[in-house]
Amino acid sequence: MPDLGRAALVTAFLLLVYATAVGAFAARQRRRRLAASAQNALIAALGASAVAAAVLLAALARHDFSFQYVADHTSRELPLGYTLTAFWGGQEGSLLLWLLVLCGYGAAAVLTTRRVARDLLAWTVPVLGFVGTFFAFMLVFVSSPFVTQHAPADGAGLTPSLQNPYMAIHPPMLYLGYVGLTIPFAFAMGALLSRRTDERWIVATRRWTLAAWAFLGVGQLLGAHWAYVEIGWGGYYAWDPVENAALMPWLAATAFLHSVMIQEKRGMLRVWNMVLVALAFCLSIFGTFLTRSGVIQSIHSFAKSPLGAWFLGFICVLVVGTTALILARLPLLRARTKLESLVSREATFLYNNLLLVALSLTILWGVIYPLLSDLVRGESSTVSKPYYNFFLHVFGLPLLLLMGIGPLVAWRRASLRALGRVFLWPLAAAVVAGAILLALGAGSSRIGVIAYTFSIFVLASIVLEFVRGTRARKALGTDTWAGAFSSLVARNRRRYGGYVVHAAVVFLAIGVAGSSAYQTVREQRLFPGDSMTVAGKQLAFRGFEQRRAPNHLAIRAVVDVYDKGGHHVARMYPGKNEYFAEQQVSNEVAIRHNLLDASDLFLIADQVNANGSVDLKVLQKPLVNLIWLAGLIFVGGSLIALWPDAREERRLAERYEGVLAEA
Amino acid sequence: MNGKHASGPTETPWDYNHAVPRNGSPARLVVALSVAAVLAIFLLYTSIAGGGTPQLQPSQLPGHQGKVTLGGLVVGTPRGDAHAAGLRFTVRDPKGIATARVLYRGTVPDLFRAGRDVLVQGRMQNGTFVAVPGSLMTKCPSKYTPRH
Repeated sequence: MPDLGRAALVTAFLLLVYATAVGAFAARQRRRRLAASAQNALIAALGASAVAAAVLLAALARHDFSFQYVADHTSRELPLGYTLTAFWGGQEGSLLLWLLVLCGYGAAAVLTTRRVARDLLAWTVPVLGFVGTFFAFMLVFVSSPFVTQHAPADGAGLTPSLQNPYMAIHPPMLYLGYVGLTIPFAFAMGALLSRRTDERWIVATRRWTLAAWAFLGVGQLLGAHWAYVEIGWGGYYAWDPVENAALMPWLAATAFLHSVMIQEKRGMLRVWNMVLVALAFCLSIFGTFLTRSGVIQSIHSFAKSPLGAWFLGFICVLVVGTTALILARLPLLRARTKLESLVSREATFLYNNLLLVALSLTILWGVIYPLLSDLVRGESSTVSKPYYNFFLHVFGLPLLLLMGIGPLVAWRRASLRALGRVFLWPLAAAVVAGAILLALGAGSSRIGVIAYTFSIFVLASIVLEFVRGTRARKALGTDTWAGAFSSLVARNRRRYGGYVVHAAVVFLAIGVAGSSAYQTVREQRLFPGDSMTVAGKQLAFRGFEQRRAPNHLAIRAVVDVYDKGGHHVARMYPGKNEYFAEQQVSNEVAIRHNLLDASDLFLIADQVNANGSVDLKVLQKPLVNLIWLAGLIFVGGSLIALWPDAREERRLAERYEGVLAEA
Repeated sequence: MNGKHASGPTETPWDYNHAVPRNGSPARLVVALSVAAVLAIFLLYTSIAGGGTPQLQPSQLPGHQGKVTLGGLVVGTPRGDAHAAGLRFTVRDPKGIATARVLYRGTVPDLFRAGRDVLVQGRMQNGTFVAVPGSLMTKCPSKYTPRH
């Protein structure tokens, strides 16, 4: 069995080398049949890596501890589900997942674009092959999942906090996002190499980019929810380098998704788009490097792991290669139009891009600062939460505002009078909302009031866009308002799906601002019978309960919650689990959702004392559930934008026939 | 120059094939000004907030006055109550013998115990490292660590 796995990986490696080398040769010499064989090699590599993945899955399912990977990441008592998801629990398995997903994306992209963009594909396949070759090389020569050993009696098991459904699907979601960014990158580089720098590479990869970006976004929200319910410090995002690793490419990809629209519509920002897609892809490789090389732990553990040096080398090759290529093709990337006014739709897209990239790069600086200061001064120095929060406010709040302004500003050149007309209602809504919030005492957090006022402004402008569009449809002769609305969305899926995603981001902003700027935190030591008051609620500690489970002892504090009128609302059980085998204690928080106002009452038994008392930490987190609601809206909006649209495809095909005929 | 989009007064936003002389594009100005603004904000922030917090081992502590992050290995038995007078424990260089005594109040992470690598913020006061409440973190042996 392990031999089959190794052979499959070697086969995949050789096929990818073939796709790279022969593909490049064929593209250079314009050999059509050779180019087709390189494409087929890429598709065959999917088969080979699928065989390798199947071998690893089978070994996991059979508890075959002669595989070092299986013994290191699972144990006999581990439930089957978590045993199988241990596939991506370790370094070697996650590299294999990278390769598998990459080959899958590559094969799908080749098969779907073979007919419409053959000339583009000629150079795209070698680029895809090159990226794949790197990962196959790592799996074959540096970090193989098929290392065998004398089988121990039992495996090492999986860390308790990772035995959680969210942790089982969060990594593959992130990987679908990270790896998916390879497709637009490969097509962009393919377009540069083949000198076909019109907009077709963007059109060909639009849905791939959108899908990768959506997966990356959903993956992060799942990770945030996992941290919220499982890690138990009362938050969901801690600016941890591992979390930032996914946020940076997502921000860059968000910028890219917006700026390609400008290139499609106005032929501008062509160099910028190349830079952005390269940045997003390099950041996704950098993210994989961050989470897998141990460089975060310390620069010394990084030096010990062979993986890190290879990854760093690969990133250097990518950065140097793409920079050189873009510079070499600069004359081909001249814009066909120029920005006519600083108050126009194009300009707001440009501002949005600059802010997103600035945010992404300041986060990058925060992540690499400890490493750089260690290298340069020999003394590690870290930036922490205030640094990230500062830049989130400075760049994030204007971004929020732009989400409301952008859609309302006319293309090319907007007149001030027209602006006044379209902004009347959103502005009025925002001002009224701001006044109400101040009257309600929200002024305790200035950032919070600003974020909320901006949020209302954006929501109002989104509603206005839908209303105006529906009214126009109705005027065109649709019978019912509902019919007008659905045909509006169906005919402009990307635009209105985008607005839905904007609404999701607004809900996210409201949830984040509410749960951080307006949360109440109280800590108190309680003996049985004692009670404490938090945000109008009374919490009474009744004593401890203990329960013995097969692999842990569960200790729970019994807490009764009463509302202002003294009515019993709920009984909650925050506590701790003591795991025997792992010798670990884990915090088990108790959360009570209030669906009416989207707030959470979050209880942490911070310390269980021998004298029968508990140190209870209570957080009242207003609006936090809007964050998870935003996740659902985000998925909905992404699906609307992603949904296949035959009419639009035809329109695009006609448009680019013209471009082709010219060339 | 192109047959598909005849030039005329009815220009749509899609009419991007229209050639426009490029000199004096305000886009470049915007980009340059924005980059300058971002750099200015960044430099201002780092000069006022002082950049990062140094991360030191116990042996590097002498001579540092301000707030630092202390990193090291917990040795001996932690004593005291983190939610009352404070938890007292000793941190040692990961590869060395220098130690520092720490006084800490606040939430103690689940994984905290002797033998763990920890990070804690604070400053030296009369020979004791007085920690910022709630700043104790364990460097957890997570799934992200490479195998040794």
